[in-house]
Amino acid sequence: MTDAAQLSRRSSVLRMAGGGIHFDGVKAVDGVTLEVRSGEVLGLIGPNGSGKTSTLNLLSGMLRATSGRIHLDDHDLTRSSMRQRVQRGVVRTFQSGRVFGRLTVAENVEAAALGAGSRRGPARRLRDEIIDELSLGEVAATRADSLTAGRIRTTAIARALAARPRFLLLDEPAAGQNEAEAVELITSIRGFARRRDCGVLLVEHDMSVVMGTCDRLHVLDSGRTVIEGEPATVRKDPRVIEIYFGKRH
Amino acid sequence: MKKLGPVTRTVETPVLLVGLVLLAVLVGVGGDVTIARVATLAIVSVVFVTGLSIFSANSGVMSFGHVAFMAVGAYTTAYLTIPVNLKAALFTDLPGWLSWLVDVHAGFLVALVVSGLAAAAVGVLTSPIVARLSGLQSGIATLALLLIVYNVLNSWTDVTRGSSSMIGIPRNTTIWLAFAVAAVSIAAAWGYRRSRSGLQLQASREDYWAAQASGIAVGRHRALSWILSAFVCGLAGSLYAGYLTSFNVNAFFLSATFAFIVMVVLGGYLSLSGAVIGALAVSALQEVLRRLQDGQFTGGSALPAGTADLILAAVLLLVLIMAPLGLMGVRELSLLRRRPVSGERPDSGVEVVSEPLDRATQGVARG
Repeated sequence: MTDAAQLSRRSSVLRMAGGGIHFDGVKAVDGVTLEVRSGEVLGLIGPNGSGKTSTLNLLSGMLRATSGRIHLDDHDLTRSSMRQRVQRGVVRTFQSGRVFGRLTVAENVEAAALGAGSRRGPARRLRDEIIDELSLGEVAATRADSLTAGRIRTTAIARALAARPRFLLLDEPAAGQNEAEAVELITSIRGFARRRDCGVLLVEHDMSVVMGTCDRLHVLDSGRTVIEGEPATVRKDPRVIEIYFGKRH
Repeated sequence: MKKLGPVTRTVETPVLLVGLVLLAVLVGVGGDVTIARVATLAIVSVVFVTGLSIFSANSGVMSFGHVAFMAVGAYTTAYLTIPVNLKAALFTDLPGWLSWLVDVHAGFLVALVVSGLAAAAVGVLTSPIVARLSGLQSGIATLALLLIVYNVLNSWTDVTRGSSSMIGIPRNTTIWLAFAVAAVSIAAAWGYRRSRSGLQLQASREDYWAAQASGIAVGRHRALSWILSAFVCGLAGSLYAGYLTSFNVNAFFLSATFAFIVMVVLGGYLSLSGAVIGALAVSALQEVLRRLQDGQFTGGSALPAGTADLILAAVLLLVLIMAPLGLMGVRELSLLRRRPVSGERPDSGVEVVSEPLDRATQGVARG
């Protein structure tokens, strides 16, 4: 990569301004403004039903916003399909992995590289690099539906990386793991993203997991923004304490 | 990653499948007239299901309309190969703008290729539909295609002879020609399967939304495989016409569709090997059942009409119950020892079942 390209990538911002969506009159997301910058990890947290996954769906194009705009730098993505956003480098994962079950791990990664527009040779090189980087070598020829839950998670991330993301939108990538495992997984994801100068939006419901792994946090409740800021600040915010700990203490 | 691409593995499956078809040829060549006919039509069926499999095995979308492509291929071959003077007698009421159909003539190989192209052209016209639809809607749409083509052929009497048979096609299909076309079709199907488009289409078969989220243009790949599969089914239609020398529009409707569906479903509609094995096995079974029904195995006492179909349907039901994805599932034919498919854990079901439990306990631990 040239220095110029690196510089231009570094300045990238994925921004949602006043984004909202309603289902049958229920506002799942209501006027949320947030931005993710290259190289940082933004944690999107909130209790169940607060609109975290809907927000991710809006950013990824799985859902179309009923209000607000979504931009990647100067490109208006508001009306773009999920595919078009992937071509621009906005790539999501799913909570349950949703790997291509009856394809091998290697085929999962290669298909995603091809989908994002790589030609065959480069797609295979990229596949091999990513499989090495994520230590999936020993299961490369294994069908994805016979992997352990942990390897399914890793395969889903490998597949997302194969699309050469500039922004990764991760929906609870550590779901089902204990806190220590979750922190370890997210820390390693952070490493993969850093190496690519890629911005990460991380949806997570567990406050303690995001505390040490995210650069900034954005807290949602009932589809609205509660606060955005550095983890240390957010943690002390009375509204966040109310949402997260209020009912229990 | 070297183990992923040895040449032997790349060509093993198509070579084995062509070998199976060759066995059918040898049976046909060595047998009497009836056996030769059964074997030749079985190989024509192999060409057809190979074509169907290019679309359905990779996309996971079943088509009930591919017999329409076979019809287009058969009619094209009829127009191109029936002797010109016979055509002048057969088609006296051709509309003026189609009068050239009487004079056009081509050698059989040209007719074969043009028949494939004509079917592919219908494939191009209909591809936007399959590109946009999934699941049940797609199945119904393909059935609608079959109905449309059938009704046009059946009703446009001046051009298609309607319900009267198309006759006088020179017998150009030999068992060896059918074999050659089958081999080329199998190679093409395997090539597509391993192509960029084929891999992406298989990914979409596994998870449509995850494929979209990987940037895969599902509709475009569906359309491409649809057109290629239409071409191969058109070849099957041409071989069929060139073997039987006469055919009726009813040969390209529901009973043919059902027969081919039985073949691919029994063999495994997600696998090329399944389709080919299914076509050969069902063709052989049908012949055995026909003879059983005629009383050849029971000392001449014929069984009631319909017994053969009844048994075939029972076999299909049995296979569907015992192996819902057919005999081959998603596997392909292979003699070499494959890597273990479930390399990670002995029973893949266990983890899936225990996962929600994991998460429930997690909630307690972490919350």
